[in-house]
Amino acid sequence: MSTTLAIARREWRAQFASPLAWTVLAAMVALGAWLLLSGVESYGAQAARFAGRADAPGVTDLVVVPYFATLATLFVFVLPLLTMRSIVGERRDGTLPLLFAAGAGGRSIAVGKWLGALGAPAVLLLLLVLMPLSLGVGTTLDVGKIAVAALGLAALAGALCALGVLCSAWAQHPASAALAAMAAGTIGWIADAAARERGVTEGLIHWLALPGHLTAAMRGVLATVDLAYFALWVVLCLGLAALRLERLRETG
Amino acid sequence: MPPAPLIEAEGLSRRHGRREVLRGVSFTLAPDQVLGLLGVNGAGKSTLLRILAGVLAPAAGRLRIAGAELGADPRAARTRIGWLPERAPLYPELTVAESLVFAARLRGLGGAAARSAVERAVERCALGEVRNRLCGNLSRGFAQRAGLAQAIVHEPPVLLLDEPTAGLDPLQAQRFHELLATLKPGRAIVLSSHQLAEVQAGCDLAAVLHAGVLDSPAPPGDGRALSQRFMALALGSAA
Repeated sequence: MSTTLAIARREWRAQFASPLAWTVLAAMVALGAWLLLSGVESYGAQAARFAGRADAPGVTDLVVVPYFATLATLFVFVLPLLTMRSIVGERRDGTLPLLFAAGAGGRSIAVGKWLGALGAPAVLLLLLVLMPLSLGVGTTLDVGKIAVAALGLAALAGALCALGVLCSAWAQHPASAALAAMAAGTIGWIADAAARERGVTEGLIHWLALPGHLTAAMRGVLATVDLAYFALWVVLCLGLAALRLERLRETG
Repeated sequence: MPPAPLIEAEGLSRRHGRREVLRGVSFTLAPDQVLGLLGVNGAGKSTLLRILAGVLAPAAGRLRIAGAELGADPRAARTRIGWLPERAPLYPELTVAESLVFAARLRGLGGAAARSAVERAVERCALGEVRNRLCGNLSRGFAQRAGLAQAIVHEPPVLLLDEPTAGLDPLQAQRFHELLATLKPGRAIVLSSHQLAEVQAGCDLAAVLHAGVLDSPAPPGDGRALSQRFMALALGSAA
């Protein structure tokens, strides 16, 4: 366990030592601010339509939830940039032997890398969640719903980081790791798109696709089945990454 | 009574696919002894060192490190091993001191124990002047020393060095050997090399590894017999 935590701490530090992580954070915060302000502007235009209605949707439903939904889509493309170096970087720097010699197995390295890789996404998520909370100064927000939606986004980020670690374990170059993770994430994102087009909204393909597991969270409902889905995704990706690392240990 | 050997290898074998890389390698090494492992490229030196380091599992054979059986008690055995691969495993974004702290933490040392282990390793490897320099900015000589410091940060009785002076200029190589001599007391050290002169000058025992077979370790003497054996094997392999 101490080995896993040592790996996680170093990975966390390595992420923030990279200009790429800061660039991604800055770009995402700027994009997030723009999305939120656009949402507020659009709400201002629509507000008159709902005036006087008892069941009128509020800022949370019309601004914050769509903002989170857009962020979820962006995460598929942005998080691979933060995880791409996690394992392939060790291979390129020749530092994997240090971990192996200390007795770190594939599982311990994969889990440590994943925990460390969560660092920058956690900071990013915190900043992106704090922004809509600032609307509370001028209006009433459904904080419970926002918290559950943020939890859904966090679960998605965890799953995408695990996918990034897996792709980094298999790739020969950080860029190919990022592209592979983006491609796999996109497939996971649009897996049920064709079925939805045809009006089919149930079945295995829907269960496998990522967006369906965020729907409940965006409505403010914490569904354990969705959390289990993301946990399963993490376990599967890290398990495959661990197998790859054991293979790398054997082949040198 | 002679001291108990720190390395006891018996019948170590390893295959890469259908190719037999190591065949029944056996030797013992006592404290205060340095074994020089000579061999041409592809002879199996790195594979043997990786098996001794516990990174690779042998297909057959037994290995005891300072009394701990690697197969039965890998955790105990690994804590007694320090390994420096051919390319020092350093993180370019960490300073030398931070790298050593990380290596100490990997070995389960924390807090004050890690800090004192780092100070000891910095002092032993004469890294004081570069302790706050990023590893990515170190010269090859300092990088090797930092790699060595990482390998000894947990005070292992067994030290494995894979071509530690490859790429160093003669002065750096000489300094590295002087440093190695200070680490020798109480330790068993195995170093692999292409250079006969290096093995002859710095090792108590030498053995030639060829096509996965290790001949019996013997004092290198004036190097003539060793040189003849090495050249015969090397030329045989080239032919």
